[in-house]
Amino acid sequence: MENQEQQASAADILTQAIANKLDYLSTMQAAVQHGDDRKIYELLDQVRYYQEVKKTRTKRAVNHLAELVDNIHPQISHYLSDNLIDYLGRIYPFFYYEEYTTGLFHIYFGNWWDRRLFGDLDVVNVRFDFDKAEYQKLRDSFALESQNQRLNTAKIEAVSAESERLQQLVDAQDDRDSQKAELRDQLKENSGKSSMPWESGKVKEERQTIIDQLTKLADEDEKALNAHKSIKANDDRILVLSKEDTILNYEKQSIRDAFDDFEHFEAHNASLYADYLNSLLGKSEGEVTVDD
Amino acid sequence: MINENDPSTLTTSGRLLNYNEAIKTGLETGLTFTKLMDQLIRTTNPDELVSAATQLADFQLDSDYVTFPHQYSNADYYLLFMSRMLELHDQGNQVILQSRDHREELTQQLTSLGDRGTFNFRVEPSANGGVFYRERATGQSLFYLNLERKMLRFNSHALTQLFVIDLHETVPAETVKTSVQVLIDFARYLKEDYGYSVDFNILDAANRQNYAVRAADLPAGIVDRLFVVAAQNDYMLTNGVNGNGAEIILDEGVVVDIFNNQLSGQPEWVLTVHDDDQKTSWFDVLLKYPFMRDWYLENLTDLEIKSDPLIFG
Repeated sequence: MENQEQQASAADILTQAIANKLDYLSTMQAAVQHGDDRKIYELLDQVRYYQEVKKTRTKRAVNHLAELVDNIHPQISHYLSDNLIDYLGRIYPFFYYEEYTTGLFHIYFGNWWDRRLFGDLDVVNVRFDFDKAEYQKLRDSFALESQNQRLNTAKIEAVSAESERLQQLVDAQDDRDSQKAELRDQLKENSGKSSMPWESGKVKEERQTIIDQLTKLADEDEKALNAHKSIKANDDRILVLSKEDTILNYEKQSIRDAFDDFEHFEAHNASLYADYLNSLLGKSEGEVTVDD
Repeated sequence: MINENDPSTLTTSGRLLNYNEAIKTGLETGLTFTKLMDQLIRTTNPDELVSAATQLADFQLDSDYVTFPHQYSNADYYLLFMSRMLELHDQGNQVILQSRDHREELTQQLTSLGDRGTFNFRVEPSANGGVFYRERATGQSLFYLNLERKMLRFNSHALTQLFVIDLHETVPAETVKTSVQVLIDFARYLKEDYGYSVDFNILDAANRQNYAVRAADLPAGIVDRLFVVAAQNDYMLTNGVNGNGAEIILDEGVVVDIFNNQLSGQPEWVLTVHDDDQKTSWFDVLLKYPFMRDWYLENLTDLEIKSDPLIFG
């Protein structure tokens, strides 16, 4: 019967669809059992794999089979991280990883004091997700190098100059005291002056000038009084800035040691997926290949 | 009835007998003293030396009936003891004992330091007893010694003030090291030969020595400062092995750690100095590395290594 035929073909189609999924999962399972990380990566993103590793021009249709394992990405990531981090350790000797929860990794830059948390390692996609702000600091720091400057040179100079100005205010206390005494004498003299109506404007004006000067000196006195505290606060700010410069300097040095310059470092990051999978391809040539 | 303790009840001859007995006792005390002095000055046996010094340390020479107008102070016997102890270990020439004309009083110089330091002992007047070895001009008490309790305690504050600050400009580091070594050796003999409890404090070169800093909860900025100055001097302050502090590798395998020694509860920040031969102390680091010295001195309020609080509290 036609209806039966129709039902049979619907069943066939579904059976085939289920078979595809089963096939996908059993291929994945076999790859895990044989430690074939390359195959796992291929299965996780076939489109990207054929584009970046096989470098085929024809676009493969997205089959959505990879979605089957979406909710076990943490376990997959945890599993794949072993070999990936070994590989990264050779190329990026200055990065340190911490698996803060299953399959999720923080990247730390360096092993120096107060090294920076630099972002996350995306194991499934073989990609660094650098913290944007931290990465930008590093980029700026490289850019400033050509001008013989560190990231915080200008800021440190500004804060130091402010401290110096405050110190001068403190040092000039005696000068101000004698100026004030003189101005007060002038003020006394001024109030004793004749108050002839045609003179009163000038006397008033003179008086105001003296008072203005005294006010300015009093303001400076007050600043000087708080100067010690401000200088201490400035020292703390300079410490924070110098520390950041020191860290950036170590980071730059590490990148230069491994990649010569920042551009090469970025180029390596961009081709990391292909480079890593090609390295796995080379490795698995001698091994028993599964499912090919 | 005759009561010997009440002179009014005694006969004349009884009184004279009592008087005579008291003088005899006084003279015997004097004789005992001269024997102990002989022993302290002449013996070549370290045990006898320690025994004489311990007995002389709180010897009461005068009695009601017999007094001696010319006496050295008890503190001087300690100085004599120290010289003799070094002499018995073939280091007698490393200190110079000086007596003053017309006065029974001794002072000491460390040979290598010469007249840049004059030392003597000062008796601790409290019930604890013991003496402080101090530099006379600056009054810095470098260590505390108690023969009865068999203990010696070095004082980080005084060692730093005298050797790392006061003499820094005028005395080369090597000379300071040689001079301080005499004090270390003296303490070592007491520890190794007589089981004294000795706290070498910042002079301790043993790797296991934790030097506790004064600010148990060290402000983070202090370690940051070391990080910055270390980088300026081409040394890198790294994260410590135990993850709760910092580490810096200096030259010749010397590693300084600064970390919180308590995993939970009240923090206790300490310094350690490690080297394979266990020959380097925190004091040595201060002498050798100007940037470490500057860092330590600039933050001394927080960083000063603690000394025995019962003695130097």
